[in-house]
Amino acid sequence: MSALLHLFLLALVCDSLIAATLVGLRIVPPDVVLAGAGRSQKFLVLARDADGNEKDVTATAQVRSSAPDVVAVDSRLSVFTARSHGQVNIQATVSGIQTSATIRVADSPSELAVQFSPDVISVLTIKGCNSSGCHGSPAGQNGFRLSLFGYDVAADRDMILKAHGRRRVDIVKPENSLLLRKPLFEIAHGGGRLLTKDSDEYKTLLSWLQQGGKLDSDGARVSTIELYPSEQVLTGKGTRIRVVVLGRLSDGTTRDMTGEVRYSSTDEVTAAVKLDGEIIAGESGIATVFARGMGRSAAIQVSVVHQPAGEDFPKLQDNNFIDELTYKMQRKLNVRPAPLCSDREFVRRVFLDSIGTLPTPEEVDLFVKDVDPAKRSKLIDSLLRRPEYADFWTVKFEDWFRNNQLNSQGRSMGIFKEWIQEWLSEDRPYDQVVRKLITSKGDTFRNPAANFWHPAADFMLKKFDLKKVTPTVSRLFLGVRLECAECHNHPLENFTQDDFYGMSAFFGRMRVKHGTAEYRRTWYLDEDADVEHPVTKKPVAPKFLNGSEPQFEREEDRRIAFADWLTSPENPYFARATVNRIWNEYFQTGIVEPFDDFRSTNPPTNRALLDRLASHFADSGFRLKSLHRTILNSRTYQLSSRREKGGNGPLERMLFAGYQPRQLTAEILLDAISQVTGAPHEFGNYPRGTRAMEVHVPDQPDYFLVTFGLPRRDVLCERAKSPTLGQALHMINGATILQKVQAERNILSEFLSKGWTDDRITEAVYQRAYSRPPSDRETRAIDEFIGTEIAAGRSRRRALEGVLWTVLNSMEFKVNH
Amino acid sequence: MSVNNRRDFIRSGGLALGGLHLSKLLAAEEQKTERSCIVIFQNGGSSQLDSFDPKPEAPSDIRGSFGAISSSVPGVPVSGLLPRTAKIMHRIAVIRSMRSDEAIHERARQYIFSGTKPRNDLIQPSFGAVMAKERGGRNGLPPFVVIPESDLSAEAGFLGPSFDPFVAGNPNQKTFTVRDLTLPSGVTHEEAFARKRLLAKLDAGFREAENSPLLDTMDEFYGKAYDLISSPAARKAFDIQNEPDQLRDAYGRTGIGQGCLLARRLIESGVRLATVYHGGYDTHTDHEKSTKPLLTDFDQAFPTLLDDLAQRGLLSQTLVVVIGDFGRTPKVNFSGGRDHWPSAFSVVLAGANIPGGAIIGRTDKQAGEPVDRPVTIEDLAATVYRSLGIDFNKDYHANGRPVRIVKDGIPLKELVS
Repeated sequence: MSALLHLFLLALVCDSLIAATLVGLRIVPPDVVLAGAGRSQKFLVLARDADGNEKDVTATAQVRSSAPDVVAVDSRLSVFTARSHGQVNIQATVSGIQTSATIRVADSPSELAVQFSPDVISVLTIKGCNSSGCHGSPAGQNGFRLSLFGYDVAADRDMILKAHGRRRVDIVKPENSLLLRKPLFEIAHGGGRLLTKDSDEYKTLLSWLQQGGKLDSDGARVSTIELYPSEQVLTGKGTRIRVVVLGRLSDGTTRDMTGEVRYSSTDEVTAAVKLDGEIIAGESGIATVFARGMGRSAAIQVSVVHQPAGEDFPKLQDNNFIDELTYKMQRKLNVRPAPLCSDREFVRRVFLDSIGTLPTPEEVDLFVKDVDPAKRSKLIDSLLRRPEYADFWTVKFEDWFRNNQLNSQGRSMGIFKEWIQEWLSEDRPYDQVVRKLITSKGDTFRNPAANFWHPAADFMLKKFDLKKVTPTVSRLFLGVRLECAECHNHPLENFTQDDFYGMSAFFGRMRVKHGTAEYRRTWYLDEDADVEHPVTKKPVAPKFLNGSEPQFEREEDRRIAFADWLTSPENPYFARATVNRIWNEYFQTGIVEPFDDFRSTNPPTNRALLDRLASHFADSGFRLKSLHRTILNSRTYQLSSRREKGGNGPLERMLFAGYQPRQLTAEILLDAISQVTGAPHEFGNYPRGTRAMEVHVPDQPDYFLVTFGLPRRDVLCERAKSPTLGQALHMINGATILQKVQAERNILSEFLSKGWTDDRITEAVYQRAYSRPPSDRETRAIDEFIGTEIAAGRSRRRALEGVLWTVLNSMEFKVNH
Repeated sequence: MSVNNRRDFIRSGGLALGGLHLSKLLAAEEQKTERSCIVIFQNGGSSQLDSFDPKPEAPSDIRGSFGAISSSVPGVPVSGLLPRTAKIMHRIAVIRSMRSDEAIHERARQYIFSGTKPRNDLIQPSFGAVMAKERGGRNGLPPFVVIPESDLSAEAGFLGPSFDPFVAGNPNQKTFTVRDLTLPSGVTHEEAFARKRLLAKLDAGFREAENSPLLDTMDEFYGKAYDLISSPAARKAFDIQNEPDQLRDAYGRTGIGQGCLLARRLIESGVRLATVYHGGYDTHTDHEKSTKPLLTDFDQAFPTLLDDLAQRGLLSQTLVVVIGDFGRTPKVNFSGGRDHWPSAFSVVLAGANIPGGAIIGRTDKQAGEPVDRPVTIEDLAATVYRSLGIDFNKDYHANGRPVRIVKDGIPLKELVS
């Protein structure tokens, strides 16, 4: 057969394959407005399949312009080129499916204006010129001094254009400027070669000089940039795709910026991106590819799967939208979710995850024997109604709000703890709780919410430390780590020093008076105070993050406006940050990870899931129990933790394809040990039977708790969750377990007094600790152990203590799985 | 034959005659490659102007009031706070042109201890964790110990929590013991190990079903715990009460003094890397009031440590590093304090094969910027690893990708070969 015929048949086959799965078609970028004759825009034709995935089908598309004398189509290069002013309809056809797009050509092209800020500043920042090791240091380098990461735009421009007899730029012949020649390394430069003549950065600097080096230029600005395709799943290592970037300008036109942006990938091993934007698939995984330019950025998620999911990919029952959305991604990446956990696994797990308490053998038995198909759901409901729910989640919120000995001490700490317990029990809407916290003031003994500010009271100086407020509020309620922006703008992120001080300004009027005893503080507002910018020394107006500056009356408590903004339905951060934090508690991995580090350079792995959870939470009136209920009822939460060897990698974790076993946290573990042994722990003056969760942390916290990760809560970090050698030593040799196991009045004494056999006692211990009976093999091993112990001369009681000791030291007990 | 093969060969009873000679060779070779390390970390960031880089000619609001004294290296003065250290300058190396650009404590520490700028996606391991992984423990001891408490900078990061440090506690307490190192009274070894065997059986089934990396880590720690429990020599290493009072006094009855002494003991017993955290250098207010006692205590402990190591024949096999988060601002602020200053600070190295009296780099008149031989954190890390005999150019794996423990660091040729 001739080659041509071959090709034709091949095309037909491809076509029909595509046609088989094709449900939609589109031309990107949409809404192109070419600035004038001669301007062009690269395009792609994307085909969408039934799963919603888009494929680049530009090569097989027939693309026609309704008026080639207005806009011509070059199919080979896939470029639209403007020929004259007007409007055209572009039609693309693939396998009989058609789509169209409108392209306009504006009257005349205007030069893209380069502004000093952000364009030149961003070059100086990305290239490291204004970092503290180079010209951004206080002395600069060789007298050329820039503000650190460009916080002082006017000074920088003066330094470049005017300082030292204007020696650094040549406005008449811009290419001769020292500003360019040094980083090109045409002249000796301590910083080395940083630019090449074909780089975007060089072109930006050159354009700026050519346009006269103005601070503010007339002319079009880039408002946003868009990156296409929107999202990709690449099959097979080595697969390549092209991207196209469109800039939308302030004059209403668009600009092809495909060759004018910087590309980067969050994970080069999964998806590497070349200088021209071509993406190459590597190992299986999920990566985000960014395009950055002119102070703007756009990102797409690129997933790589080597073997796509086939027909045998399990089709599963969705309990709710969580399952629908996690399944979608799992299928996309061909990562199979684990099967559902057993009833016994479920009951132990859900008790621990929702109320931090082991189920009693009776509770387990009741649940396992129940034939109601809705029993899991009913159990969840009943657990959320139990008083232990509030106790357990209070400890978490105390971690987050840093209710600790250093900040609060004694009564103050207790007042705050009780207040948290109260609103958790009542399931008060979380937005109201946060509003209360943010606007709290007054005597901390009378206004419990005001204890929230304690970490911002400088312990040594006994005064209010505003700088501690913004990072706290930002991390807790926005999920954003703003602390770096205190000192400088982040070169790659959108958060600036202005954002930091703008947010601080809402809280800048707070002051604190210390009482004489027990850290009794009174928080009040000083209406005359202002927040000063550390560099400009001018008062900073309050500004919402990535938002506007509200107007105030003099006496207003500005925090009210902040609380309003924070909890409004339009706020993109609050709901997402909260649901992500709670999600992280259950799954040990956030949808954004780390869970309080939302950034454009750290996108969610499953954006649809995050968005849906956030709107669900907001719609429920920000009720935490509704969120818990939804998560716990999902099949996703109820997946087994058991995996094949090697089947529990980072991808399974990121896609929530199985439950992640985790060691019980300090208070929970201690309470579990007390519960299983029937020997309650002594906590100082607290009544017998008080649980670790309920104790207000005393001056000398229990060694067991500290060893197992009780946080000091003096910094905004999470609890350390990893096992340690110290923990192993304490479990093996420490007094905590030994005392309970040897206690005169514990469950062993009870069972022995009832005359139970060894096997019966073993079974009872198993049920208490593991919520299951022992296997035959386990029973035999234990019988053997008891026999050997007795033969070695130890008493039966002592041998049974050995069994109990071993169970408490076992992984299955210490781990929630 | 690789070293391991030789060891096995000897252990298997090999050649009785040749065995002795071989074991000596082995010991020598091991000695050459297996250096240990003590890091003294000046928590909060020590002021370069008040320690190793005084500028007596600078204006009064910069130079501070501790003055400068000459040291045993001609032309190289040190702060008036360090008279004893001044006398041994010819035995140590000082980098005065150290620079990082991390001004936030947590980030700075992570940077320094891992030799890599903090990343979003991975946590790079600290020196101690790498030593723990590459060299393993000896004599039943944990390979990586921190005194008195742990810190984020000590993390094992992507190497995994089994290489996290063992926390020794504060040896400057009257009743200092490392808890739980011995079996409880009334429990014999026999009983403890019978329980251990039962535990292994119960855990085996669970581990096999779950296949979780968490359980592997827990298992490793239990193994290490039992190693410690079974090794009286290991436990003795922590027993600082066994040191003569005279020596304890010589180091100084301070956190850093006793910390350095404990570190020496641990290194002597086989610990690979011990970090002693000396607290309180973050003096944003009333700088001189706080700094004086700190550096005075340091000045007593540090030379004593070097002498002690030398006397025991350990100095050439122990690298000692003294470093803080960053330096402090040349200009004293309005609260009488100095703030964070990563642009230029001083780092001290001693012991191992570090040439004494090597002074690297210079700063400007205010100790604000390096003017000669700026040294990056990456270079420092490369230098430390080179001195310790660790290959920092090899690829590790994390998150399914190759990653290095130091990227683009060049060992300082003035200090190591």
